[in-house]
Amino acid sequence: MSFLNPLLLAGVGAISVPVLIHLLNRSRVRRVAWAAMRFLHISVERNQRRMNVEDWLLLALRCLLLALLALALARPTFQNAAAVLRGRTAVTGVVILDNSYSMGMTDGVQSRFARAKKFSETIIDAMPGNSATAIWLASDVVRGLVLEPTRDLNLARKTLREATLSDRSTRLFPAVRAAVEALRRRGSSRKEIYLLTDGQAGGWEELSETIKLLNEVKRDIHLNLILISDREEHNLGVSDLRLGSSLTPVDQSLRFEVQVTNFGHDDARGVAVRLAVDNDPPSDQTVLDIIPAGAAKNVSLFTKLRTEGYHAVTAEITGDRLAADDRRTLVVAATRRLRVLLVDGHPSRDALENETFYLRNALLPVDSTAVNDFYIEPVVITPTELAGTRVDNFPVVVLANVSDFSQATATALDQYVRRGGGLIVFPGNLVNARFYNEELANRYGLLPATLGPLMEAADDEHAFHLQAKAYDHPLVTLWNDPAAGTLSSARFLKAFRLQPIGRKEVRVVTRFADNAAAMVERTVGQGRVVLFASTANSAWNDLPVRPAFVPLLHRTLGALLEQRNKALNIAIGDRFTLRTSEETLGKDALITHGEKLRQYRRIELVENQPVLQSEEIDLAGTYEVTIQTEPPVKLKFAAQADPRESRLDALTEGQLTQLDSVATVVHWQPELAWKQSGPANTGSWEIWRVLAWIALVVAVTETVLGQIFSEPK
Amino acid sequence: MAQEASAQLLDPAAIARAEALGILAREIVEGFMVGENKSPFHGFSIEFSQHREYSPGDDIRHLDWKVLGRTDRYYLKQYEQETNYVAHILLDGSESMKYGSGKLTKFQYAKVMAACLAYVVLLQRDAVSLNIFDTGTRTYIPRTGNRDMIFEIAARLAAFEPTGGTGISQVLHELAIQTRRRGIVILISDFFDDESKILEGIRHLRFSGHEVIVFQVLDPHELEFPFQGMVEFAGLEKTPKLLTRPSEIRKSYLAELENFLSALRLGCEKNHCHYTLVNTANSLHEVLSGYLAFRRRTSAR
Repeated sequence: MSFLNPLLLAGVGAISVPVLIHLLNRSRVRRVAWAAMRFLHISVERNQRRMNVEDWLLLALRCLLLALLALALARPTFQNAAAVLRGRTAVTGVVILDNSYSMGMTDGVQSRFARAKKFSETIIDAMPGNSATAIWLASDVVRGLVLEPTRDLNLARKTLREATLSDRSTRLFPAVRAAVEALRRRGSSRKEIYLLTDGQAGGWEELSETIKLLNEVKRDIHLNLILISDREEHNLGVSDLRLGSSLTPVDQSLRFEVQVTNFGHDDARGVAVRLAVDNDPPSDQTVLDIIPAGAAKNVSLFTKLRTEGYHAVTAEITGDRLAADDRRTLVVAATRRLRVLLVDGHPSRDALENETFYLRNALLPVDSTAVNDFYIEPVVITPTELAGTRVDNFPVVVLANVSDFSQATATALDQYVRRGGGLIVFPGNLVNARFYNEELANRYGLLPATLGPLMEAADDEHAFHLQAKAYDHPLVTLWNDPAAGTLSSARFLKAFRLQPIGRKEVRVVTRFADNAAAMVERTVGQGRVVLFASTANSAWNDLPVRPAFVPLLHRTLGALLEQRNKALNIAIGDRFTLRTSEETLGKDALITHGEKLRQYRRIELVENQPVLQSEEIDLAGTYEVTIQTEPPVKLKFAAQADPRESRLDALTEGQLTQLDSVATVVHWQPELAWKQSGPANTGSWEIWRVLAWIALVVAVTETVLGQIFSEPK
Repeated sequence: MAQEASAQLLDPAAIARAEALGILAREIVEGFMVGENKSPFHGFSIEFSQHREYSPGDDIRHLDWKVLGRTDRYYLKQYEQETNYVAHILLDGSESMKYGSGKLTKFQYAKVMAACLAYVVLLQRDAVSLNIFDTGTRTYIPRTGNRDMIFEIAARLAAFEPTGGTGISQVLHELAIQTRRRGIVILISDFFDDESKILEGIRHLRFSGHEVIVFQVLDPHELEFPFQGMVEFAGLEKTPKLLTRPSEIRKSYLAELENFLSALRLGCEKNHCHYTLVNTANSLHEVLSGYLAFRRRTSAR
């Protein structure tokens, strides 16, 4: 026999209480001088023996009652075969359903998740009376649908039936650990975890920790691992979708890179891949002849965005039994005219002398007649006009040799970038390096590098050049291909020695041949800043007159806008975060995902910026956001699932054997009955209820006898 | 009004003072005797006539001077001033009478009762004697018809403090032997003694021709036994202490008491005595007026 609450055994000492009360009562005797002693003597002599017997009987019953209550509270249990024969012990359990998207794999009729839900109900049906169970969903997070074990098994069944699948990936150790912790807190002699999963190997990365934990608690807590899998070995999935083009102008052909992975064990042939915008019919498609087993293939598909605004671009393959990974969506923001604000630090009547002359021409690489129709619209202003300009109207702002500006302008620029704006900074001879370093770099954290000392070449012969190869930043990898031209032909006579700030979001784009940084970028909030070491005109270098300047500038623009698109595409499990303008502060935003999700969120201040933030996103696909302003602001974002979840490799025999040593592993089969295949009753028998009943009987007996005995005789 | 005044006078301190006790008795008695001219105690023929020896306290105006002149002996002329009867008031002064759950003990209650009865008797121009006893006579006032003697009676009553045990039968036998002239014996006691012996004494008195009136004075707690919890009872007449839970033996106690009271009452009835159980919780005024009214009714028949 053992006790679940051994400390409460100390309560047996309470049997001294009636004795003490009896003694105390004796000391509280009332004394009376009495005349009619004769009748009293006769009565006492006649009744004393009976009264003594009654007193002892009541005292014994009271002591017994307290001892029984203390024993019942200590919850004694017997663990032997005889106890098993007497009855089944109530279970305190946690039913954990794997709701990662691999559980959406169907056999053509029913998904693994549906089977798991159904079988969970069978498990609950087989629980002995007075059992309690919690219902949890586990993927890479644990969600308690019924957080604490409840005896309301109908509620548990209803909750199970209403459980939904997510597009999350699998990581089961946290769920097992949380269940163990939850059951440790419960006082029960039979604690069971029922984990229903598809046995995907990827979900058991922490297998050794799981086994160690289960070993530690195996005396108290038992894991039942029910593997709901059907040995499906074929699965194709769209594992990646990204925008190949640098910009997203309306009516321009845009390239999207689609990656299709064959997660199965056999080669896949004739895989059709389609690309569609919003709910329109596919705009482009191709057929991949063969994708070898375990391999991935990339394919470029093209489409045009017909209107300005947010578009959901979806890549899709022919459906298989796991539908969740057969499509992947990307949201892009299309613009009809990309307005670029060029702030000219040294405007001049001579156009060639202007700081922005080459910039403007590089941004408009078309004939003068086509300028008005081109999708980029450069707008040139002076530094003094910058303060009065609403920078939010321009996705990208370029500062060309601007000496310095007011704190208000600096603050406005900082917030603009953090909301997703792009900033390109070209220094020059007018630049107040101290302002750039102390204010923009250090105080606002806008610049990716500080401006160091000037590097100067004595003459053209000693001019310095950009690196010629080994470009690793995506913005310049184009020039790793010699056919694309070169950046290294440009000659630099002067440049600031850039000193990159040592933060992980700071990256050097390209360097000079002596390894000094020539171009550095960093993300700031949802925006990005690119800092060049030299001028945007030909005063310090001849890069602006080189052919490479045009693609370099366009790719830089693309990189800045990509940052804006990045915020519109999040991973499953993340929160959608949007920094908005001041006018939206306090407004509500409605976030919808078809019919499956509808949540209202309020735009609140986060680090002095109005921010819209969703809850953690569980479902892949397109989300629509409506900010309740006048007129309402509408936008879209998309969530993409982790493609690793598409890999359906099951636990190996060795891993299953390891798990079998600490848990009961059951392979689900149709018509599997839990009572037969479930674990044998652990054989503990609690007698606290019996004791409580006896205590009740004793209490009633004591009350009745006390009443009878106290009647005058 | 008189009833209220007497109720106010009924306090232990007043009863302890002779003067106050006398006034109290008068107040009570006059309260219920207003308008009454007929004695409630008609026990003897008014034709009876003889000389009686003088005893201290007798009015010397009634001395037969001729007999004194002739024989030098003191005799009273009874045919002229003789009382109807002599009322012997026997008051139990044993320690058991000291019990009282309320304001008054049984003895204090009985004292006032005795004073009242003495006053009634004297008011009717009858004679009264007082005997306060425990195991024997402790205080005695011979018979007297002088109304002023009420103060002497009150003084003796007020001064008496119960100390001894109880021996009622012995006192009754002595009275029966010593008193040759028949009279009314008013016995006031709790009768916590052997009832058979008490009844023997009463029988003896009856045999001697006395009318016996029994007032059994008991406290309400003795009659109801209402105690709760654990109680230690200490006997008033040197009996050992007794610890018990009275609520659990109440029935038994009350049954024993009832047996005792019944035996006494039946014994009295058998001997043609008037028996009255007096609960000290009841007003003395009501008890006496009730009894005297009863007596008038029964004697009228």
